[in-house]
Amino acid sequence: MKWGWRVWALIIALLLSLLAISPSFESGVVVKSIAKDSPLFEQGLRQGAIIKEINRKPILVAEDYADVMNKLFANSTDMRVDVVTKDSKYVVFINQTPDMTVQNVPRTRIKTGLDIQGGARALIEPEQKLTNEQLQDLIAVSNNRLNVFGISDVKIRGVTDLSGNKFMLIEVAGATPSDLQDLISKQGKFEARINNQTVFAGGSEDITSVCRNDASCAGVRGCTPVQGGYACNFAFTIYLSEEAARRHANITRGIDVDLLSGGQYLKANLSLLLDDQLVDELLISRDLKGQVATQISIQGSGNGATQEDALNDARASMHRLQTVLITGSLPYKLKIVKLDTIAPLLGGEFVRTLFLAGSVALLAVGLIILIRYRNIKESLAVLFTSFSELAIILGVAALIGWNLDLPSIAGILATIGTGLDQQIIILDETRRSRELALKARMKRALFVVFSAYATALVSLLPLYWAGAGLFKGFAVTTIIGITAGVLISRPAFADIIKRIEEKS
Amino acid sequence: MAENTVSHKSWYDRTYKYQLILSVIALALALGYLAFFYSANGDIIHKDISLTGGTTITVSGANSPEEIQNALRARFPDATARSISNIRTGEQIGFFVESTASAEELKSALEELLGVKLTQENSSVEFTGSALSSSFYKQLRIAVLIAFIGMGLVVFVIFRTPFRSLSIIAAGFADIVMTLALIDILGMQISLAGIVALLMLIGYAVDTDMLLTTRVLRGEGSINSRISGAFKTGITMTLTAIVAIGVSLFFVYGNSETLRQMFTILLIGLGFDIFNTWVTNAALLKWYAEAKRLT
Repeated sequence: MKWGWRVWALIIALLLSLLAISPSFESGVVVKSIAKDSPLFEQGLRQGAIIKEINRKPILVAEDYADVMNKLFANSTDMRVDVVTKDSKYVVFINQTPDMTVQNVPRTRIKTGLDIQGGARALIEPEQKLTNEQLQDLIAVSNNRLNVFGISDVKIRGVTDLSGNKFMLIEVAGATPSDLQDLISKQGKFEARINNQTVFAGGSEDITSVCRNDASCAGVRGCTPVQGGYACNFAFTIYLSEEAARRHANITRGIDVDLLSGGQYLKANLSLLLDDQLVDELLISRDLKGQVATQISIQGSGNGATQEDALNDARASMHRLQTVLITGSLPYKLKIVKLDTIAPLLGGEFVRTLFLAGSVALLAVGLIILIRYRNIKESLAVLFTSFSELAIILGVAALIGWNLDLPSIAGILATIGTGLDQQIIILDETRRSRELALKARMKRALFVVFSAYATALVSLLPLYWAGAGLFKGFAVTTIIGITAGVLISRPAFADIIKRIEEKS
Repeated sequence: MAENTVSHKSWYDRTYKYQLILSVIALALALGYLAFFYSANGDIIHKDISLTGGTTITVSGANSPEEIQNALRARFPDATARSISNIRTGEQIGFFVESTASAEELKSALEELLGVKLTQENSSVEFTGSALSSSFYKQLRIAVLIAFIGMGLVVFVIFRTPFRSLSIIAAGFADIVMTLALIDILGMQISLAGIVALLMLIGYAVDTDMLLTTRVLRGEGSINSRISGAFKTGITMTLTAIVAIGVSLFFVYGNSETLRQMFTILLIGLGFDIFNTWVTNAALLKWYAEAKRLT
């Protein structure tokens, strides 16, 4: 049988989708996160590396890794650990399980949402209405803080609901809800210290404002060629309260000028600490010694191989510092309004059940269609089309990096369901009375299909925003599915049926 | 065969207007029940904790949900517990507890009761604040309303005349009203997902109504044969959907409260859709076609 271009379009879309999902059959465990001060990190092991072997024992799945580690570090003596990854080898001497997390190599590029993977999710509402810009700040600040805590695999995004309320949605895979609650309720303790004495702290109104997005008091102040590239200097102004300025004057009064630096700076640095972790150290200009200054210029530099790299680096450092300084001074409180967690145990079982349910449902549908139309070729065409739709939805989801959560899966089921309905319309239209030309009947069938598409699309759009976007997944997968259906798979299906009917 | 069709035809010709009375009574009963329900409960549905705010704790383990529920009721009168089981073995793998109490209160009470500490490994905790829940509920109602109006507009643009569009919209409306009434009679508590299922229902319901309208108004043959032709297609569509959803419901029944509720609501809605499309909408269209002398 010769296939028309519509069928070829479906086959190509199907192949591309399978490619986007790209099942992987590689064994081993992939490093999900690794502590920056761990010996293995210093040796060069990074997130994303695939571990194949530890001390000559093959590591096929995550359980193997846990087994080897439990046996190795039964008592905390120094052990030699040989790690073989896909591309390299590392040798370290350690006395405890390496500070990293691993997981099985993902079989596909389909990402699953938190409610399937396990982890914690919090929906956070600021106690006052925020502008879009303030929401972006809040997200930057929160990202910064979670990074300080070394929590990887965290997703923070802003969501706005139908009534214009703004929320921040934080999702952390594998974290416990209490971790997340602690983090958020802590508010972020920011302190600037000189010689271990607090000069100013966040939250206590010491910092009245931080200059940003205003070229007159913040920006990159020039670049110069240095050995091996360029360096760019940035500066921005922060405003301190009278009290903090006086504290600064009292502390700096007793500090000598560091002659080694050419007499420009004081001997002690200003240390910036976020939740008791050092995030940056700044030199203090000699002009500030003993001065009650409410305006302080914070300066730093960025380096790079080219001038552009250096400029970008300087901008990034400046932005980070500004965020750190603002972190301690969020002018509003945050409230957790929704906290969800799902144990991965139930998650794994759940995926298997869903898979089983989907397969059996599709088989049952195939059987009904076989009984109703008594044509094995057409029943197979129905199943093939539905399967292609499923593959295309999953492929597009993998391509745009969409996390499939429970609402997304419900959306996929709904799409396959309505898709089947429309295939039946097409099937029936073609087989019905032969008074009209096949082409005209096909046209009428596609008219119903297009009308149904338009109504479904319109009725789904509000879900995109309703409920703080928690049901976005449903709207996204359904819209992908019905659009692929109406553009690719339904025309192809109509073509296949037409050819089968013409032959018989 | 020919005689059969004739006698069927005349039976339908004689009774179709009376069938409409049936539709009106059914719709009136459903609306009346919802009004009664509203006056008794202050809302047209029983909301579950995802819409009122509260806590759900899921724990792995084979403890009896009845015992846990009874023990918890002393402190939390609204607490409910249900089991979760493995679909293949039927073995209980866990249970979940729901209450409007705060997450901390419920968790510590449950820990005391079970004598184990609840951690990320053996349990999961979800809570929703009551202010947020009521705003979710408000927004989803708006979403259903916008979806319904949007659907109506699109139908109107496609079919151009008010009558044809209205008969489709009326059938969709009747589907939702009757489904809601039955849900209330069954005492089901509706969750966020349940309201999303109602949205999905709009999409499913409109498919068959559009098919019928297109066939009756643009088809060939007598009006009755157009309706019976559309019926064959439409009932296959709906039955296929019912079987697929029924099978899925069977599998997720003990496993996911969310999907269980969505599928149950869709099943109920599809059942009513058979009635509303093939009794109500078909009769309305026949009446319209005969009045306009469409052939």
